[in-house]
Amino acid sequence: MAIMRLGYVHVRVTDIGAARSHYSDTLGLKVMAEEPDKLYLKGWDEYDHHSVVLEEGGVGAVKFGYKVAKAGDLDQYEKALTQFGVSVERMSTGDNLAVGDGIRFTSPTEHVFELYHEIEYVGTETGALNPEAWPRDVRGVGAPRIDHALITGDDVDAMEKLFTECFDWNISERVITDPADPQLLATWMFCGQTAHDLAVLKGPNGKLHHFAFWLEDWNAVLKAGDIFAMDDVSVDVGPTRHGITRGTTIYFFDPAGNRNEVFSGGYLTNPDFPTITWTADQLGKGVFYIQRELNERFTSVLT
Amino acid sequence: MATIVLLPDEVVLDGRPGEAVLDTLRRTGWTHRFGCRRGGCGVCKVDLVEGSTHDAALVSDAVLPPEERAEGVRLSCRAVPDTDVVIRLRADDSLRCTSPWLAGASSRRG
Repeated sequence: MAIMRLGYVHVRVTDIGAARSHYSDTLGLKVMAEEPDKLYLKGWDEYDHHSVVLEEGGVGAVKFGYKVAKAGDLDQYEKALTQFGVSVERMSTGDNLAVGDGIRFTSPTEHVFELYHEIEYVGTETGALNPEAWPRDVRGVGAPRIDHALITGDDVDAMEKLFTECFDWNISERVITDPADPQLLATWMFCGQTAHDLAVLKGPNGKLHHFAFWLEDWNAVLKAGDIFAMDDVSVDVGPTRHGITRGTTIYFFDPAGNRNEVFSGGYLTNPDFPTITWTADQLGKGVFYIQRELNERFTSVLT
Repeated sequence: MATIVLLPDEVVLDGRPGEAVLDTLRRTGWTHRFGCRRGGCGVCKVDLVEGSTHDAALVSDAVLPPEERAEGVRLSCRAVPDTDVVIRLRADDSLRCTSPWLAGASSRRG
């Protein structure tokens, strides 16, 4: 029984045409399907039908989909969530394009999560038989896949408890106020072998801080920055490194103001990974390792 | 070309056609509090005191509700002057000079 990874992020955008240009031409995702007010996209190295859903009207996150390893896991997680005190609803095939049955719940931070096992398999752009290293016709940044999301909410402790107890996730890093009187300000949690599959920062409920795309290495992060300059993408911070996760990064905004990230590197995790702790007085270094200070947007700019 | 007066500092800038107020500031060596620069976060809210503007791109009602807009609230990252405008920064915001070199060449005191 396991949640394997972040499968999809569904966000609202004010202008679907501008969003299409950003996610498809600048970031290089491929449009897999379109509806009058929605676009479904995926990165070239993703084999499931889509990893990003864009919906016209407003800004911010609609929901986050996480894929489980076995169909039977859904029953187990439904039971665990119910016992935890979270109400769970069943979602049916067809509720989400190309996605099968699953369960849906609203987290203590008022974010909607969906767990599913079946999604239409379409394959990567390089295929699974004697594949080339990368597709020749990739556009812009050419992001191969989605990686993680960071959300905000009031009760960070409850999110840690839910994800570790119900889903058996582990914690890679935490930010606390003060070791003498530790209050949790942020947590980075993983189900796979990267530093985080979901992170939660103390803040207003229901908000999106960012969702991130994986890149191969630091050079790819720099090249992404060049493309952001060419396409007049609003860059928040970077290229730089995070102290937390040790990843290299650029934070930037989509045309609706939702924050995105390109992310590379960081360490490998296992279930026995010893949780790293940062104190609030070192948060600047934890978030932006080289500059060692937060910009005014880090905690205030959310959608 | 629109004249933009920024209160309370009474700094006067010349906007270019189609240029949002925040872009004029950044081009001329100034800044104030802003967030995503794409109309999604509402961090760059300012008050339009005189004149009229339109938005360079669609702004969600969730970010700038119609009632706030009616009171003159604008997003500096999106508001493009249609006329000469007078804009007041909020009490918890401030006009900051990022490049005296640029600001000296392209702005004046009202």
